Amino acid sequence: MALIELTDLSYDYPNTCGLDQLNLQLNAGEFICLMGPNGSGKSTLLRILSGLEPATHGTYAFDGQVITTDYLADPQDRQRLHQQIGLVFQNTDVQLFNTSVVDEVAFGPRQLGLSEAEITQRVEDCLALTHSTDLRDRVPYQLSGGEKKRVALASVLALNPKVLLLDEPLNGLTIAAQQQMLTLLKTLQAAGKTIIMASHNFKQVQAVEPRFVIFNADHQIQADLTAQELAKQPEQQAELLTL
Amino acid sequence: MHIPDNYLSPATCGTLVLAVAPVWTVAVIKVKAQIKQKRETLPMLGIAASLAFLIMMFNLPIPGGTTAHAVGGTLLAVLIGPWAAVLALTVTLLLQALLFGDGGILAFGANAFNMAVIMPMVGYACYRLGEKLHHPKIGLFVGAYLGINVAALVAGIELGLQPLLAHTASGAPLYCPYGLNVTVPAMLAAHLLVAGWVEAIFTVLVYQFVHKVAPTNLYQAAAPQSRRPWLYLLGGLAILSPLGLLASNTAWGEWSPAELKQRLVAEHISQQAPQGMVQGLHFKALFQDYTIGNLPISVGYILSAVTAVLIFLLLMRGLQHDSQTTK
Amino acid sequence: MTVKQPNNLPDWLQQPNQLTSQPQRHNFLAHNQQHLTHLLARLAQPAPAVNPTRWQLSPSISLIRLGILVLLIALTNNTIWLWVLGLLLAGHLLVLAPSQLRRFTRSWLLSTGIALVVVLPSYWLVGPATVLLFVCKTGLILASTQYYRLTTTFQDLLSGLKALHCPNLFIMTLAVAITYLRMLGHYLLQTMMALDMRLVAPAKHPYQLIGTLFGNLFLKSHAYALELYAAMEARGFNGQYVNQPTTTNRWHDYLTLTPYLVLVVVFIFGGIYGIN
Repeated sequence: MALIELTDLSYDYPNTCGLDQLNLQLNAGEFICLMGPNGSGKSTLLRILSGLEPATHGTYAFDGQVITTDYLADPQDRQRLHQQIGLVFQNTDVQLFNTSVVDEVAFGPRQLGLSEAEITQRVEDCLALTHSTDLRDRVPYQLSGGEKKRVALASVLALNPKVLLLDEPLNGLTIAAQQQMLTLLKTLQAAGKTIIMASHNFKQVQAVEPRFVIFNADHQIQADLTAQELAKQPEQQAELLTL
Repeated sequence: MHIPDNYLSPATCGTLVLAVAPVWTVAVIKVKAQIKQKRETLPMLGIAASLAFLIMMFNLPIPGGTTAHAVGGTLLAVLIGPWAAVLALTVTLLLQALLFGDGGILAFGANAFNMAVIMPMVGYACYRLGEKLHHPKIGLFVGAYLGINVAALVAGIELGLQPLLAHTASGAPLYCPYGLNVTVPAMLAAHLLVAGWVEAIFTVLVYQFVHKVAPTNLYQAAAPQSRRPWLYLLGGLAILSPLGLLASNTAWGEWSPAELKQRLVAEHISQQAPQGMVQGLHFKALFQDYTIGNLPISVGYILSAVTAVLIFLLLMRGLQHDSQTTK
Repeated sequence: MTVKQPNNLPDWLQQPNQLTSQPQRHNFLAHNQQHLTHLLARLAQPAPAVNPTRWQLSPSISLIRLGILVLLIALTNNTIWLWVLGLLLAGHLLVLAPSQLRRFTRSWLLSTGIALVVVLPSYWLVGPATVLLFVCKTGLILASTQYYRLTTTFQDLLSGLKALHCPNLFIMTLAVAITYLRMLGHYLLQTMMALDMRLVAPAKHPYQLIGTLFGNLFLKSHAYALELYAAMEARGFNGQYVNQPTTTNRWHDYLTLTPYLVLVVVFIFGGIYGIN
């Protein structure tokens, strides 16, 4: 059974369409890259997958559990879902609200009721994994864009989510930092995590050979291909390079 | 605390707009000086207005399962400066009245007086006092609590005076039908017990965060410069004082206890004048009812106003001298 | 700085989480998110609900009309007057599209109902006539302000104030306020969502979180202010806020305003004074 199953899923904004009739099955341990033009629905899909908003039509099932409006309205169910799914926002400013980087990363584990030793362990590990150990005593608000991205990832990672959603994680990073980030994500995938990221950087992402889910401007899925399949379609590749 | 339309008589609304007008004038003068030092203050006025809007919209959880909301008057005064806060909150209230139906259009002056002037000013004064005593946070907490409660008290008085100010020949109130004995306790109970604490805690926590993360973004009170804006304010008030005549009969809130009792009895609202007024306000005003001998009443008003301004100036002078010698 | 090899994941990260759940009564975040989403949806639709092309008033006239109407209703305590004013208002409501009229009626009834509930206890103090008069007047005022809100865009409000010679600084501040209400509102919503994602247990100190939420929002607004000032200067801002001139028929304006002016004249010289 697929970990995430979308059936005829649509999402409507007050005046416009956000997503149109998606059917998609994502399996545990996959590395998925959502691609498509601006405003094609990638971020909307990530918000629905993370359980921040219910879909307008159709069903979304996570691990066999259908995520309905009622399910999301129940605080306990919502918490349980968020323990399994982490989301790194496109604008990391909104995600960092503590007064020091250490507190930021420890925010999630603290709520899980872990012991102080465990929390410290997790914080140190996450900072090391994201190459942010030297930032530990800084104020998140004063970090640079790339540093914020790394700290945001560390703070989500500290919750040890089963599924990691990332909205444009490579934006604002240097090429070297992009490669570091992708290597880390690939390692996490190897450890059994499911990675779903929205990105524009086709060239960089290609290296980790993800499964590509490509949206068109009409908020529908235009293609769903593995990296190997995509390699055989030069027109599609050319199109992705222009994004 | 937003007073809707038809709760206050148009005369009260007009009087309050005129009361706020000189404050706005001073605020504009003060903020212009502030803009010279910190240029982003200009766009910050509008942005702070939208920040205040969001603060007033945000539901804060309170024990018991219900919610309250903060006003943020004191907070804004500390973050962007008291005069800028006056202007920003005024804009917020105008937006709310015209586009969102929160608070009345005629009552805009009253709401501005309560929430855009009294609240930030009282709150900021307490904060400064606390700062001088080296406990700014305590000062801020007390200021936020007091600020919202004084504003609520004034709103309660404005509402409660309506049956006395505007009624039909038979004594039936035309606007807010509740007297002071209902409105003041109702407003104060809600704010003293719940909203005041919510406001105070909210204010201190936001301040604490900003203070920790980016202390340079807080408003730094400039060293006192000229006292000219204060003179404008006082002069404006003195010139405007004949407008007190607009309110029919005696100016509201300025009855002698006997007159108040007589009015209250006439309206069957309370058979007794409030205790505090009977016992607490027995001082003999210099110009009883603002008329001396056979002077026309308007001249009496202006003389009284000038006297009040002079006394106020003398008091300020005395305090100023005091603070300089203690340094 | 010691960098661990990324391919050596710590043990805890390789094992699935033990799911925990604690009971929670009130979720303030979800509640506020909903609230804010509604506000943003409203702000995202700047077009007026009603746009009668043939009989378009200039913004300043509709603002004056609102002022006169509200003032007249507030001043009078004569039921015949209220009746006439009510009829005038009802005439205006005829312009609304049916769906708009339904929406208007719904929210108008709701707000008048709230006013009724507030004033009802005074029935025992002052009797039914006063309560009735109060509710009628409040209802009429609410209807006229709501009609104004329904037919006026924010842009119209600005040009109306401009035409009435409001200071430029004030109009600019108002314009900035409404623009940034959307931006800050959106930012606040995103922050709440991010907090929601990481709030995997009931918040022990919800107020602490709210303090950081709004502290962050203030810092963001400060950053916006700096950016905005730089942008203003870059575009040669000189303190003047210029509005597009409105192209409406002045003849229409005065014709629409006439009944109100007549009413005002009658009110003043008719010897009917609202306040005794």
